[in-house]
Amino acid sequence: MYGHQGKILHVDIGKRKSWVEELPEEWRKLYVGSRGINARILWDYCKDPEITWDDPRNIIIFAPGAVTGTTAPASGRTSVTTVGCTTGLYLKSNTGGHWGAELKYAGYDHLVVHGVAEEPVYIHIQDDLVEVLDAKKLWGKDIIKTDKLLKKWHGDDSRGLYIGPAGENLVRAASIQCSVYHAAGRGGGAAVMGKKKLKAISVKGTHPIQVKDPAKFAKIAEEMRENLRADSGAQGLHQFGTSASVAGVNELHAFPGKNWQTGYTENVYPLTGQALVSEGYLKRRVACFGCTIACHRYSTIDKGPNAGIASGGPEYETFGALGNGPGIINTEGVLLANEMCNRLGLDTITAGGVAQWAIESYLRGVLTKKDTNGLDLGWGKLPELLKVIEALALRKGKLGDLLGDGLKIATKKIGHDSYKWAVMNAKGLEQSNVETRSAKAYSLAFAVNPRGNDHLMTETFAEFGTSPEAVAVIEKITGSKKWASPHFTEYRAEIVRWHEDCYEITEALGFCVFTSTAAFGVNPENMARLYAAATGIELTEEEMMRTGRRVCTLEKAFNVTRGATRAHDNLPWRLMNEGAASGPLKGAMNSQKELDGMLDRYYELHEWDKETSWPKRSTLEKLGLKDVADYLGKLKKLPKE
Amino acid sequence: MEKLLLVDMDKCTGCKQCSLACSLTKEDLFDPARGRIKILKREDIALGVQLLCEQCEAHPCIKACPDGALSRDTKTGIITVDMEICTQCGSCVESCPYHGIRSHPETGVPLICNLCKGDPYCVKHCVPGALLWVKRTDELFTQKKKLRSARMAAYKDIKKEVA
Repeated sequence: MYGHQGKILHVDIGKRKSWVEELPEEWRKLYVGSRGINARILWDYCKDPEITWDDPRNIIIFAPGAVTGTTAPASGRTSVTTVGCTTGLYLKSNTGGHWGAELKYAGYDHLVVHGVAEEPVYIHIQDDLVEVLDAKKLWGKDIIKTDKLLKKWHGDDSRGLYIGPAGENLVRAASIQCSVYHAAGRGGGAAVMGKKKLKAISVKGTHPIQVKDPAKFAKIAEEMRENLRADSGAQGLHQFGTSASVAGVNELHAFPGKNWQTGYTENVYPLTGQALVSEGYLKRRVACFGCTIACHRYSTIDKGPNAGIASGGPEYETFGALGNGPGIINTEGVLLANEMCNRLGLDTITAGGVAQWAIESYLRGVLTKKDTNGLDLGWGKLPELLKVIEALALRKGKLGDLLGDGLKIATKKIGHDSYKWAVMNAKGLEQSNVETRSAKAYSLAFAVNPRGNDHLMTETFAEFGTSPEAVAVIEKITGSKKWASPHFTEYRAEIVRWHEDCYEITEALGFCVFTSTAAFGVNPENMARLYAAATGIELTEEEMMRTGRRVCTLEKAFNVTRGATRAHDNLPWRLMNEGAASGPLKGAMNSQKELDGMLDRYYELHEWDKETSWPKRSTLEKLGLKDVADYLGKLKKLPKE
Repeated sequence: MEKLLLVDMDKCTGCKQCSLACSLTKEDLFDPARGRIKILKREDIALGVQLLCEQCEAHPCIKACPDGALSRDTKTGIITVDMEICTQCGSCVESCPYHGIRSHPETGVPLICNLCKGDPYCVKHCVPGALLWVKRTDELFTQKKKLRSARMAAYKDIKKEVA
């Protein structure tokens, strides 16, 4: 097969057996790959709402993209899809690193893990050899030690994906780590692995990938590569990483601090990618497989009491969640917290989110030392923060258990209106470090995100209009350049709708979303051409975007089976009720009225029902999802038409 | 105009675009194991070390071949394998001091970089500039050797640690 390898590998870790299924030709046309086909597989196996995240029938699917493993620039990413443990809803998380490409070279487009093991196991794949092996020697080990042992057993050129102690302990903030420092971090996929007693997946492969028209493919890949080479956003990402933007975001008073109570920090420099370079912490600029941008960092501390600390990152989000958020305005402090999260297998965004909530709860007297393992919590206290992180990963003491369940459960346990300063929406995922009060397309995108409120199911960075390319995207969507400003509520639904589809096909092909929604070298038009050159499947730009829309609707339908309604598409209480603290946007807020206006238009564009937010039968049928409509009908979850 | 390939480990991000580009231009498919240029990757310390034929002055691969299948262009230093003669014995692979030769995973014949006969395809793919195709000067020739020494030192360290 061209582009894809044409095989889906199923492994039942309970029964210790595996089987291979041909990749259906129809799916390549309807869902393209990775995230798209994953969504279809999850629907087919887990649509029954009785299948909760911890049910043995829940599956977890790993998939590189349709062009992963080729010279298409930055196309080495992997989608991980399951019933999420943090929200109980649809979860797609996406990771970089080199594992996904290796799975594809082993001959598989998708790996579907079924069942639950009685004792800890790991999966070993070497081309046609697929084994479920004993992981007693790995269980309890941190990410670094786990990777070392797997490489010792299966070769230095094998690639690993694994959970740390946090995942084993079913911590909602746990992260699936990949190629040591990359992560499918959000939503608790690692806890799903932990529940299954699946510690790791080691892969090595030797099957080349072929494309239908190599010359044409190379030409389009070159065009994308040269677009990205010339793109200022991509250049900044290479030079200073994702945290290149911290100072600029801070100038907009939009860099969340102290649990979203501040947006501006006086001396923010230590929390920037520029400081990593100038202070000598940055050792290497690192790429995921096939990536010409290389935004990832490898940083080390060489001097002083912390000498020897080394890890991947920190990213923008980590400087936010574990730096500015808890008030640690200190590069080395964030490096320490980041290293600990990477080692124990924690998502830095959620770890920072729950830590900030704990600090504020303690300062308000809602939590006392009895709840905090005796810690005297406060802003800017690094030793205490590190103890919180450790307690979280290991579920140590009362604090570890409280935070380990995530804020959705913790706020219910604690009460006292503590949901008001838990920065998450009704779905229950701790928010990523984006100030939505002053960026309206972001606020809508966060509200409707099927996995909770973050920027990783779609990203509308273009609405800031910070480059001619960004403005051109907005003009293409709205018909006018003037809407390239984030404070408008007009056309935000159109902007979100377009980006949802673009983001989805970006991931389906295996591209990093930075290539199409943060830098602008890859776009629906050249993706459609590339997909045709890779596979021989000719889709127009519109048809390609329609596959994205189909997947977004399928993801929505999955959540509807779990009881999702319009009420789930909201924003955190704090951002809806408290104004931004300072700066040109002082007092700016999200409000239900403002959100409702955008939601109405958004559902209208989707042709979903406004009242319930549910997809209509006619819409589902138009998208070729009649079976989905039939199932929702059985559940009495189809809106009236 | 005589040119040379500068291969800088410090700028390498470990993405493997070069190996993939090589396998594409030589074999019309994508397989890092079929690249004449290879990246030895250490994920935990985020290191990528490029390995390829250096067109070196000593060229022990020629002597190592028991059948005389390898020949060298004295002007460019490029090694050519006579496929009719090669028995896929692997002696040249073993002999290379720069670990720049490996066997084709299917046919077993040695994969040796020939600089694409004067226009290395991999260089265009290396956006960070770890591979540069530059006009040869004495200074840059010295620089090339220095960069090579750094790569070989890293290679040794990695192999020592693994063993």
